[in-house]
Amino acid sequence: MESTSPFYSVVPEVKYSPPWHDLSIIGIAGSSGSGKTSVAMEIVKSLNLPWVVILVMDSFYKTLTPEEHAKAHANNYDFDCPDSIDFDLLFNVCTREYNDSDEDDDSSKKAHIPVYSFANHQRQTQTTTLYSPRVLILEGILALHDPRILKLLDVKIFVEADMDVCLGRRVLRDVRERGRDVEGIIKQWFTFVKPSYTKFVEPQRHISDIIIPRGIENITAIDMVVKHIQRKLQDKSESHTEALRKLGLLAAKVELPQNVHVMPATPQFVGMNTVLQDPATEHVDFVFYFDRLASILIEKSVFIALDMTPYVQTTVETPQGNKYLGLHPKGSVSAVAILRGGSCLETALKRSIPDCVTGRVLIQTDASSSEPELHYLKLPPQLEEHSMVMLLDPQMASGGAALMAVRVLIDHGVSEDKIVFVTCAAGETGIKRLIAVFPKINIIVGRIEPDGEPRWMEKRYFGC
Amino acid sequence: MASKEAVPSPAQGVGPTYRTDEEKPTATVSKKVSYENVHVLPQTPQLIALLTMIRDKRTVRADFIFYSNRIIRLLVEEGLNHLPVVEQSVTTPVGRDYLGVKFEGKICGVSIMRAGEAMEQGLRDCCRSVRIGKILIQRDEETCMPKLFYDKLPADIADRWVLLLDPMFATGGSATLAVEVLMQRGVPEHRILFLNLIASPSGVAEFAERFPKLRVVTAFIDQGLDDKKYIIPGLGDFGDRYYTL
Repeated sequence: MESTSPFYSVVPEVKYSPPWHDLSIIGIAGSSGSGKTSVAMEIVKSLNLPWVVILVMDSFYKTLTPEEHAKAHANNYDFDCPDSIDFDLLFNVCTREYNDSDEDDDSSKKAHIPVYSFANHQRQTQTTTLYSPRVLILEGILALHDPRILKLLDVKIFVEADMDVCLGRRVLRDVRERGRDVEGIIKQWFTFVKPSYTKFVEPQRHISDIIIPRGIENITAIDMVVKHIQRKLQDKSESHTEALRKLGLLAAKVELPQNVHVMPATPQFVGMNTVLQDPATEHVDFVFYFDRLASILIEKSVFIALDMTPYVQTTVETPQGNKYLGLHPKGSVSAVAILRGGSCLETALKRSIPDCVTGRVLIQTDASSSEPELHYLKLPPQLEEHSMVMLLDPQMASGGAALMAVRVLIDHGVSEDKIVFVTCAAGETGIKRLIAVFPKINIIVGRIEPDGEPRWMEKRYFGC
Repeated sequence: MASKEAVPSPAQGVGPTYRTDEEKPTATVSKKVSYENVHVLPQTPQLIALLTMIRDKRTVRADFIFYSNRIIRLLVEEGLNHLPVVEQSVTTPVGRDYLGVKFEGKICGVSIMRAGEAMEQGLRDCCRSVRIGKILIQRDEETCMPKLFYDKLPADIADRWVLLLDPMFATGGSATLAVEVLMQRGVPEHRILFLNLIASPSGVAEFAERFPKLRVVTAFIDQGLDDKKYIIPGLGDFGDRYYTL
C-alpha cells in the first residue's frame, strides 16, 4: 500500500546565507609601534580580495567626558588601559548586532563603525558602514584582551618588536600624523604606554596562536598567515556552493507560484526571442530587439509596481474643461542593476522611467568554484522607503547571484515583498530556488530556458 | 447638449482580479464595445495613470510627449501581435535548439497628418526601419466633409501590412477616408491595422461596421462627443499639445 510518509509533511525551512554571514575574524595585537598596522596591510595586500577588511580598534575609543578631555589634551589620559575602549560596541560590530534600525530581523545586516577623531578625542557623529566582509582583521594593542572577542577570533596574532623600536616609531607617527609634540609623547609613553604594555598587552602574547617577531620584515610568518586564511576561505566557498546545490534539489519539487510572472508567449514576444537567440543576428539588431523586449519586461514590472504602490484617485481637467476621474501613482520606484549584465536593461528602464534612481551591485561568479562573489555595492539612499525596487539581471542560471542580490537588498532594509526581480530568461530550478528562499518577492521572467544555461546575453549585448 | 445624452463612462475598481473592489481605487475605464475587430488595451492602473497624465491640461508638453509615447508603444506592441508569423527553429549561441517564430510579411506605417505623425516615434521604437507613408486630410470648408489634400505612400503598399496611425478618433471621417485611399491603392481591408489612442464610442462602432475585416487597436473608448464633435472628456487637440502648445 502506498502512503505518504509522515516525515515529509514537515516542510523544511529554506534559508540562504551569503558567504559573508560566515565571517572569519583575525585578531592582531602587539605593542604600540610594533608594526601591527603594517602586518595587517601586508596580509590584505597579499590576499588581494575585496572582502577583506581591516577594523582598527582605535575607532572604538570611548568618547571622553569634559574632564577626561582636558586630561587627554594635557597627555594625562590613559589611552592604553582597556577601560578606554568600548569593548561592548566592538563586540556588537563583530557579531554585527549593532544596527541603527529597529528591525527585529535577526539576520545580520550592515554594521556601523564609529569614526574617532584623534585631534578632538571624540567620536564623530558620522559612522562608516561595514557590509559583507568575509575576513575581518581586527587590529589594536588590545585585540586579544576581551574574552568575548577572543571567542570570535579564528586566528590570534601577536606582533612583537623591540620596545626601543616601538618608541621610535611612535614618536615619528604621532608627530607626523596626529599633530602631537615630542615632550607629550614621551611623557605618555612612560606614564601609560609602557606600564600598560607590561600589565595588559604583553599577557596577550601567551594566548596568541602565532607570534610574529620583527613585524613587517617577517615575510615567512605573514605568508603562513595568508596561506591559512586562503585555506579557510576555500573551505567556506565549498560549503556555500554545496548549500546552493542542496537548495536547488529542495526547490525542484515546488510549483511556480503566482508571484512568478512568465511573460505570455505572444507572436511578437516569441519572434523577438527567436531573433535574439539566432547567432546569425547582427549586433545592431540584437541590441535593438533586446531593448524592445526589455521595454516590455520593464512595463510589466511597472504594472506590478503600480499594483503594490498606493495610488491616489484624482480628477483632472482636460483642455476643453471636461473632467476625468483617473489615477496618480504614489511612491517611488527604483532599480538596482546586478552588474555587469543588469546594465543591459537600463536602456529599456530609462524609456519608461527616465529619472529612475538606480543602484548597482557587482556580483561575479567565480569560474573555478562557480560561487557568486560580491565585489561592489552602491545603493541609493533611503532605498527601504521606496514602494518598489526592481532588481535587473538579463539572465538567471542557477540563481546564485540573484539570491545574493536579494539578500543584499533585504540586509539594507528593503522589505521582501517590495522586490521585483526582472530577467529576460531564467532556468526553472533557479527561479524555484529563489522563490523558495524569498517567497514574497515578485519575479518577472521573459522566457523559461533549460536549466544550467550559461550566461551569454550580456556578452552579445555588449559585444565582448 | 449632446454630452448630457451620452451614457456616462463606467467608473470601476482598477487593479488585479485577486483584489476585492474595496481594495482597488476607482477610476473611469474604457467603454466596452462588442465588435470582434475592435481591441481595447487592458484597463490596468498603469494605463489609466498614463492616460490621466496626458488628459490633464496642466501636463507640460515634454511630459505630454513622454507619456503619450509610452502609451503608443503599448499600442504598437499590441497591434504588431496581430501580424502573422511562421515557425522558425534556430540554434542558440550555446548550441541548443529553440523553436521560435519569424515575422512574416512586410509592413509599413501610414500616418494621418498632423496628429498621426506624433505616433511615428513609438512605431519606430518597435520597428526600426519601418517605411512610413503620409496622408493629409483636412475638412473642406464648403462641404464640411473631410477631403484628401495630399498622400505619399510606398509604391509597393499593396503588398504590405499597413499600420494606420491617428491618435484621436472622433467621428472617424478622416480615418474612413484614409482607409478608402489605402484600399484604392490595393491594400486589402484585412491587412490594415488602425492604431488609436482615444476613440469615441459612436465613431468606433460605425467604423468597425463599415470595415469588418480591418482591426482597430485603441487604448481607450471615451464617453462620447460634444456638440462640436470633440471627444469628451478627451484630451484637447493632440497635435497642438504634442507639437506646439
